[in-house]
This record gives sequence, structure tokens and C-alpha cells, in this order.
Amino acid sequence: MKKTAYSFPEEVLEHVFSFIVSDKDRSSISLVCKSWYEIERWCRRKVFVGNCYAVSPPILIKRFPELRSVTLKGKPHFADFNLVPEGWGGFACPWIRAMAGAYPWLEEIRLKRMVVSDESLEIIAKSFKNFKVLVLSSCEGFTTEGLAAIAANCRNLRELDLRESEVEDLSGRWLSDFPDSYTSLESLNISCLGNEVNLLALERLVSRCPNLKTLRLNRAVPLDRLPNLLRGAPQLAELGTGAYTSEMRPDVFSNLAEAFAGCKQLKALSGFWDVLPSYLPAVYPVCSQLTSLNLSYATVQSPDLIKLVSLCEKLQKLWVLDYIEDDGLEILAASCKDLRELRVFPSDPFGLEPNVALTEQGLVSVSEGCPKLQSVLYFCRQMSNAALNTIARNRPNMTRFRLCIIEPRSPDYLTLQPLDDGFGAIVEHCKDLRRLSLSGLLTDRVFEYIGTYGKKLEMLSVAFAGDSDLGLHHVLSGCDNLRKLEIRDCPFGDKALLANAAKLETMRSLWMSSCSVSFGACKVLGQKMPRLNVEVMDESGPPDSRPESSPVEKLYVYRTVAGPRLDMPGFVWTMDDDSALRIS
Amino acid sequence: MEEIMVMGTLGLSSVSPLSSSSSSSSSPTTTDNNNNINSSINNHPSSSSSSSCSSLCLSNVSTKRTDLSTDLRLGLSLSPSSQPIREQRSFDCWPPVKSTLRSTLVEESQTLLRGSSSSSSSLFVKVYMEGIPIGRKLNLRAHHSYHALVKALSHMFKTTILCPGSHQLPLKSGNVHVLTYEDQEGDWMMVGDVPWEMFLTSVKKLKITRADRC
Repeated sequence: MKKTAYSFPEEVLEHVFSFIVSDKDRSSISLVCKSWYEIERWCRRKVFVGNCYAVSPPILIKRFPELRSVTLKGKPHFADFNLVPEGWGGFACPWIRAMAGAYPWLEEIRLKRMVVSDESLEIIAKSFKNFKVLVLSSCEGFTTEGLAAIAANCRNLRELDLRESEVEDLSGRWLSDFPDSYTSLESLNISCLGNEVNLLALERLVSRCPNLKTLRLNRAVPLDRLPNLLRGAPQLAELGTGAYTSEMRPDVFSNLAEAFAGCKQLKALSGFWDVLPSYLPAVYPVCSQLTSLNLSYATVQSPDLIKLVSLCEKLQKLWVLDYIEDDGLEILAASCKDLRELRVFPSDPFGLEPNVALTEQGLVSVSEGCPKLQSVLYFCRQMSNAALNTIARNRPNMTRFRLCIIEPRSPDYLTLQPLDDGFGAIVEHCKDLRRLSLSGLLTDRVFEYIGTYGKKLEMLSVAFAGDSDLGLHHVLSGCDNLRKLEIRDCPFGDKALLANAAKLETMRSLWMSSCSVSFGACKVLGQKMPRLNVEVMDESGPPDSRPESSPVEKLYVYRTVAGPRLDMPGFVWTMDDDSALRIS
Repeated sequence: MEEIMVMGTLGLSSVSPLSSSSSSSSSPTTTDNNNNINSSINNHPSSSSSSSCSSLCLSNVSTKRTDLSTDLRLGLSLSPSSQPIREQRSFDCWPPVKSTLRSTLVEESQTLLRGSSSSSSSLFVKVYMEGIPIGRKLNLRAHHSYHALVKALSHMFKTTILCPGSHQLPLKSGNVHVLTYEDQEGDWMMVGDVPWEMFLTSVKKLKITRADRC
């Protein structure tokens, strides 16, 4: 076999490799032998970097000289929930600058949780001759001026997606910077923008791009402009509406209903800010063809909500506020047999008392009624081991299970016991579970279950759980495929961390905040594991000004081939070999 | 993390309830290699950082609210504790709901309850400082008056910000800033033009501008 492989000319192998698209498979190929590594790196067109500090731009460019598509991720996931201090890092600029020099034919940049300046956007706009895709997901640091540069210069742009980014919205005029001759847009997501865009420019843009498939508007686009937009793009597959409210007028309604009815390809709906329920029937004509419905911004209650959902019989993905309640989820379970993903968000996350009748029962119903359900994010206020057990037995095909019981450390509300056995059942029965978030009252026992059964688990989020180092040790020593572990407010400390130091090199990252890890242990970890960056974050002052045994506020550990980063703000310290020696 | 800092200064977050007293009574089978780390660490650090918000001397800033009569005329509540502060919910950044969804929910509840006091305990807005590209997030509901807000922002951005209503002229105008805000209609207004509670229902974002440019 070996001989045969070597006898292929390079071109043949290159051609064969071109059919292998998954990042993981490409990585495996490059590990076969030196010549495969060489061939693979020259024909690699697309790369995914899960942590922008795990590698440097020069290293990336040296290895992959012909990239067309780069995906980069910056801040830790907990940044989504404000746990990462502002100014931590994740700057896109050094990457963009380096790529501008090395990849004139770069077509796609996808960034997540990164700081992107207007200057970076201008470099993108000017440097890449055939630029097509810009996705800025949960990014910040730029303004509509930067977007104007993209609009004015990227003649072949197909996708501009600003999902959940924080854009300083200086002016809605940037949309009119797309030249009149520009028609290649296929996907536009401006749902995060605060101000009104130039509506005339938007209408003209939408109607002159025949391949536009995805259009997600922002809240400032009024409902009475939606029909016109839809008529200009009857080929749309995904639509995010703007504000879904208006004075109730029969002509506005019929106009809207007619426009929706013309969208025969529509598969996904979102938006619905400020929804006025009496306008919802306008979308009924397209409901039977929808596979994705995101109502997480729609404060609509039953019966309007239930009616809408029950009409969407082909639904595969539903995001909804807890206004859907147990009754609505029961109807969902009866109507939507294709459902794969369900997210239920809290409408009043900070309220002390339940404002809706949503319990564990709703999720049990869906797990019974929807045989394809494999991804769950569920916020609720009560849970029981019995319910978790039922869910686990109903849906062994679950791959992502995130449960948030809103009050930290809530026990099984029936037995007042910890929820260890319930989550244990989830990891035991769901053999392909890749992502898990825990909540409720949990002891070290649940982590033993996770370490024992969670063999495919890749990402685990833990808050307010466990009793001792043993909990963390079970996870680190048991979960063979763990890549990301994020922990807050758990009594896990030095011993578990240091005993599993080598494990951390096999993972992408570990986050621990408000745990029991001491500064001394962080230093030891940094010295012992030179290929790990051990970052201590403390906004109250340098950690070496306190006893070594005192716990650090926040710890972020990740493997890297680039060495310690140089762009740290004042509240971050890296425990690399040198600095650790310097401190001690 | 501004939230912690600010709440810390107001002395709201020191309460740590629900300190889980339950240690697992019957730990499941412990294998040999676990014994060496079978430790018991109980000094669970409090999640609140005790950063001291002091030191920044606001010499130019009047420390009194100057115009209470407007509030009284409008019948708005003056008491900072007009809504119960949920001390038992001092868990920072919990539950894990993304800020985009949070702010939408807050805005929607404001639309629904405009005028009355909203049921939410947080209202995050972005604060921009002239010359700094990255905005910072701030929970307005962690403050109870213009004065507290200005004090927190002065500390956060390490500058002097004129308190609304203060008619004192700054000595060196170059280093003095004023606070402006964008309202729901997209207009930029001087902070302090309406009573605090009304401000909370209309503010979209804040901007700190140099005083000599206004």
C-alpha cells in the first residue's frame, strides 16, 4: 500500500485531497508522512483557527501559502456572558495586515469574538482582489465607516454577516456605498445595527441582487417597508424581519400577507422585534415550508405563539422565548416531527418568581414527540432527576444538551436531592454527546459520571457545581475528547489542575473564574508546560502582590505554538517560564 | 465586568447566598489514582472583586442633585430603592444570556412598560469615549442617580466629567468632559435634561465628549 501511495504523482494526490473538505480530515492527511504534509499544505485553501493566540500569522502563512478562506476565533466563549473583561484582546488587525500581504487572492474572512477596527475593514476592502465573504460574528470595535469601505470596494462580495456584533452605528448611509453596478450579494445580515439604514438604498440593493438568499434586517426597518423588500427578492430563503409592528391597518396587513405568499423559497424566519400579534397571520402562508424559526426576540405569547409554531410542520430548528410554556411545547411535540434543535430562552432572566408556566415538563414532551431532536438549550426554573432520566432515555441521539436552571444550585425540586443522577443519565444514554452545560445542585458525583461516560464530549460548561478537586479531576482524566472546558464559581483548585497538566495540551482551552486555583499553581503550570499559555486575569491588581496561595480571579489556559502573546492589557499576566522566574 | 466593579462600590454584591452546604455525602467509587487529589478546598473565593472606586477627585463636580423639583412635579419616584434590589441575585453574569438578547428584552419591556418602573434589574448600554474606538458596557440600573453614574464613568475613563446641572465652569476645559446620550429617536442630548427615571426609559447609548467641543 505504502508503495502505491508514493507512486502517485503530486497532482493526482492534490486532486484526491481536493475532495476532502473537513478540517479534521485535512489535518489527518497532513500527518501521514512528510510528502503528504507538503502536498496538503500547498493545496489547502481554507483554514480554521479556533484560537487566534494558538498560532501566529507568520506561522500560518508559512505553512499554508495559498489560502482562500480563513476563519479565526478570538475571545473565550464566556465573553458572550460578560465574563471576559473589556479590552482582553482578540485583535484582528495583525492577522488582517499579514494576510493582506500574503494572500492577495483571499476570498473569505470569518471572525468570531474579535476586535475589528475600521482600519482592518479598510485593508480588507483594498487588499483582496476577489473578496467574497465577510462574517463578523460577535465582533466589536468597528463602525459603519468601515462597512462603507467594504461596500464601496468589494465588487464580488457575496456575503456580509454582522451577526451579534457591536457596531458603532454612525450613519445608515453606508448601504448606499454599494455601487449601482454591484449585484453579487447573496447574504446580508445587519440585524445587530442600532440605527435606521438608508431604506431606499436597501430596497435598491435588494432588488438588484438576483441571487440574494439571506436577508436579516435590523429593528429599525419598519414593517410597512417589508412588503416592498420582499417583492424585490421573491427568491429569499432566509428572512429576518425588522420591527414587526405598525398601526393596525387592513391594507398594510393584506399587502404584507401577499408579499409573504410570494416568497415560495422561504425556509427560515427570524426578527419579529416588537411583534404585534395581529400581524402574525401574514406569515401563515409560508409556515408550512419553514424549517427554521427564530422567535427569541419576539415577545409574543400564547395563543398567537402556539398557533404560529403549530403551523410550521417541517420545522427543524426553533428558538423561542419561554412564553411558549409547557402547553406550547406539547403542541410543538405533536406537530413538528422533524425538529432537531430547540432553544428556549428566558423572557425574564432576572425575575425572582416564574412569570410563565414553563417547567421540565415542556422539555420532556418534546423529547417524547420529536424523534430527531439532538440539540437543546433550555432555560427553566425547576428540574428533576426523573425528568432528565426520561429525556435521556427518549433521546439517546442527543449531541448537544445545555440546561440552565435559572437559580444557581437548585436541587431536584421533587426530592431536594442533587441533580447528579439526572445529568448522569444524560451522559450515559447519549453516547454521541459533544456539548454539555450543567446547572442546578451538583456534587462531585456528576463529574464522575461525565468522566466515565462522556467519551465524545468536546465542550463542557460548568457553573456553581462540585465539592472538591475530585470533580475537576474526573473530567480531565476521563473525557478523552474534551477540547473546551469552561468553569465558573466551582471549588476546583490546584491539585486537579496540576495533576492533569498534560491533558491541557490536548485541549484548545480551559477557563476557570472564581474557582480555587492559586497564583502559585498557575506559575507552576506555566513553568511545567511551556507550550501552554497560562493567563491570569485580575482587575484588582497584580496577583504577585498577594500571597501565592490566594486564588486567582480568572484563569485562561490554552495551547499555543506562538508563545506568549504580546498584546496583553494591564490586568492579564502570562505565567510563561521567564515571567514566572522573574516573579519568584 | 463593569457591573461588578460598580456594584462593589455600591456595596450590593457582597452578599453570597446559597453557599452550598451540601458536600456529597456518598461519593461514588473512588479509584486509586484519585486518592492523591482527594482534597477538600473550602475557601471558595467570592466572585465579587473588591475594586476600590475612590481616589478620582471630582473637584468640578457638584455633588448634590440640583433640581429635584422636576422629579417631584412629575410625580416620579425619587428614592433609589423604589424597586427592591435583588441582593440574593448577586451572581454576576448569570444566567448566561447573551447581551443582545438581554438588551432586546429590556427594550421590549420598556416599550411595554414605558413610564412605569421596569421589572428588570439590569439595563446595559454602551458607553463611548471620544477618541477611543471600543465602547464599554455599563449597567445603568446599578446606579441610582446622575451623580453616581458620572462618578462611575469618571473612574472608568479616568477623566473629569461635568455633573449635569452643575453650572460651575471648569478651570482647565481641555481635560473636562461632558456626558451625552442618544435617545430612542436617535437624537443626541445632554445627560441630565430629564429626570433620571425618564432618562432610563429613553437612553440608547452614552458618549463622553470633550467639554470645549460642545
